[in-house]
Amino acid sequence: MLSLLRKVWRTLNRGRIGLWFALLFAFVCPAFSASFTASLDRNTIVLGEQVTLTLKFEDGQPQGPLSLPVDGLRITSSPEQSISSVFAAGKQTTVYSYAVSLEATRLGEFVIPPFHIKMNGQDFSSQPLKLKVVASDSSAPPAGYAEKNAFLWIALPKTNLYLNEPMVAEFRIYLRSDVHRYGDLQFAPDGNGLTFSKIAQGQQYQRRVGDASFTVVPLSMAITPVKTGTVSLNPINGSIVLNGRDPMDIAGFFGPQARPQQVPLTSQRMDLQVSPLPTEHVPPGFNGAVGTYTMAVTAGPTNVVAGDPITLRIQISGQGPLDTLSLPEQAGWNNFKTYPPTSKITASDPLGIEGSKTFEEIVTPQNSDIRSLPPITFSFFDPEKKQYRTLTQPAMPLLVRAAAPGTMPALAAAHPQNPPPTADVVPIKQHIGALAQISTPLVQQPWFLALQGVPALALISCVILRKRKETLAKNPRLRRQRQVAQLVGEGLEQLKIQASQNQSDEFFATLFRLLQEQIGERLDLPASAITEAVLDERLRPGGVSEETLTSLHELFQSCNLARYAPVESGEELAQMIPKLEKALQELREWKA
Amino acid sequence: MNLVHSQLNRSKQRKRRISFPFISGSVFSLIFCSIVLLLTTATAGFAADTFGEFDAANRLYEQGKFAEAASSYQQMIQSGTVSPAIYYNLGNAFFKAGQLGQAIAAYRNAEKIAPRDPDIHANLQFVRGKVQSPTLSPSAWQRWVTTLTLNEWAVLAAAAFWIWLALLAVVQLRPGWKQSLRAFLWCGGCATLVLGGCAGVAWSENSTRTAIVVVQDAATHNGPLDEAPTGATVHDGAELSVLDTKNDWLQVRVDSQRVGWLKRGQVVLASGI
Repeated sequence: MLSLLRKVWRTLNRGRIGLWFALLFAFVCPAFSASFTASLDRNTIVLGEQVTLTLKFEDGQPQGPLSLPVDGLRITSSPEQSISSVFAAGKQTTVYSYAVSLEATRLGEFVIPPFHIKMNGQDFSSQPLKLKVVASDSSAPPAGYAEKNAFLWIALPKTNLYLNEPMVAEFRIYLRSDVHRYGDLQFAPDGNGLTFSKIAQGQQYQRRVGDASFTVVPLSMAITPVKTGTVSLNPINGSIVLNGRDPMDIAGFFGPQARPQQVPLTSQRMDLQVSPLPTEHVPPGFNGAVGTYTMAVTAGPTNVVAGDPITLRIQISGQGPLDTLSLPEQAGWNNFKTYPPTSKITASDPLGIEGSKTFEEIVTPQNSDIRSLPPITFSFFDPEKKQYRTLTQPAMPLLVRAAAPGTMPALAAAHPQNPPPTADVVPIKQHIGALAQISTPLVQQPWFLALQGVPALALISCVILRKRKETLAKNPRLRRQRQVAQLVGEGLEQLKIQASQNQSDEFFATLFRLLQEQIGERLDLPASAITEAVLDERLRPGGVSEETLTSLHELFQSCNLARYAPVESGEELAQMIPKLEKALQELREWKA
Repeated sequence: MNLVHSQLNRSKQRKRRISFPFISGSVFSLIFCSIVLLLTTATAGFAADTFGEFDAANRLYEQGKFAEAASSYQQMIQSGTVSPAIYYNLGNAFFKAGQLGQAIAAYRNAEKIAPRDPDIHANLQFVRGKVQSPTLSPSAWQRWVTTLTLNEWAVLAAAAFWIWLALLAVVQLRPGWKQSLRAFLWCGGCATLVLGGCAGVAWSENSTRTAIVVVQDAATHNGPLDEAPTGATVHDGAELSVLDTKNDWLQVRVDSQRVGWLKRGQVVLASGI
């Protein structure tokens, strides 16, 4: 970025032919449908006047500087940036505009070449812009108008037109230089056999009429003749209020008051001669487009399986009535299934007669024998050259692979020489596709309904489990009872193993521990606090049977005895297990 | 000696244990391969027959023999071979033969299996556009619900229900996760309700019976009798909701204000809107 800035600065300092301005941006807005246009507020200026060049970036900003190397033009102002946001058709669009004033240093016709920019990773180019610099305005009003405070002057570039040929008419409102404020403009152009676009106001500029200096407010409008013969622009009877009171101007409230003045804005009837389009050499497929256009076609993907969609983008750029532009019927598409195209207009001027119209059409190749996308042609009548022109996009190579059996969609009509009528059903399918089975809907199948009970049962189980855990957490006695029961169960199994392996010491240690745990649990005492003495102190008064107490005494004594005289026989050890089981069982049944 | 015998016996048993699965595996593999081969052959034969019949019917269609083509497609359907393409082509054949009602019935059957096929949708709309009023026109909501099949709605609703209950079960087992899963629980509950509702509506729509007129003009009767006075006339392709049936008669709603009786032979019955 730093090197880029240095480069721009060096170029600016050198002051060589052409001019530079840089638009450097710190970030790039994410966007999906960015566009870029360049426009001049006027196409013709008198030497010494300034013209405004505006670059508009829709939903994105360019990466890097933009150069404008045009000999004879210089920049007279720093770039003015503005951002606007438009919400239309459910989509928000952010438009970044950069405007600079240009001044010509000599007479002549200048062509500002297209700007090539990179935005959001994509390359964009603008249209070349033409600017004519003249010594004097041939359409200027006569010197007699110099005495007026304000007047309307209509400048028509020509009065002979072709049918549907748009023309930009300029309705100039001349205001004397001492007019500081104007408003309440009443102005409604009308005509017979003409259509009018919306009005676009251009940049104001200064002009001399006779000896007086005037500020010119240019109002442009595209006029398109819709019938042949003599058509007329009706007389205009409008008005404008000069030096009206501005309620927001507080300083002016206390200063000298200028008297508001309503001035009529009138014009004479103006006739235009409209010629029909030539009937000779009309190219096939011509559908009434008038103007000057170029065509760019892209298609993708070009490596597809038969039946896969291919997006065809046909961009027609240039000057003409873009809104009425339509894509002509194309021949040679019988092996493709085509869908009605969608279109988007990107106007580079406020009147909508310059820019591009992009048609997006989905086509699907119907068989794998197709090797290319057919040529695309677009014909129009060029009123400047007074002849028909045809733009042709040659056939684009296409790789169509055969679809797997059963997945290929419909084939096109089998008779390519007879294109299918548009008002008919879509042709039959050539492939049977996946075979289906008509069966009872799932919602009526008992197994499906029963299956829905599984998660419900799982949830109920989880709820029960949680409740049980909560109950245990709230009752430590019960928790210990269960732990001891588990411990005793495991301990008895351990005892049997130890008895079979004749492990006397381990056997009696386990036995003693089991007695401690079980008696401790019953008496709600720590297991370590249980000794033989507890039997007489706590169990006997508690009502434990004599038989159980005797068994417990014997077991305790066996444990004590084993410390001094270990039992050698595994059978003897095993005989003690049932005795222990019985004693523990009786203890468990005893109500403490 | 006894020890030696027992060891020998154990060894034999071990061998038997080893050899048995081997033999079983071979036999099993053989049977499995035979079944697969048999099934493959049968399926291939069936598929070849089906494709052949389908191609033959298509040829009839392309030769302009629409009635014969329709008959061939119908035979395939009656033999149990069903696919959206067969119903679709049958619809085309009926349309070309000038039978709008039969064409609509066929397209509706195709749409029931493949509700998002653009060709079926386009042709059904196209043929519906040719039908003379009065006829039933589905609302936007009904059209939206039928973008998925009843089974698809049912599976979606069931999946949402399972996921939601699984989340609830997780919360029961791990109460500490309740806070972090709260949003998912709400989403799961809402998704279950919405999808369940849609499945219910789809089922309700599917249960609705529609009569499609298949004769050129049919005069509705005020009662289920030939002698009953006639009322509005409905035309080929008109879709009418069935209100009642009596013997060989169907009571249909002609429009918002009129009902009438049609003979069963004048219509074909279809489910759904």
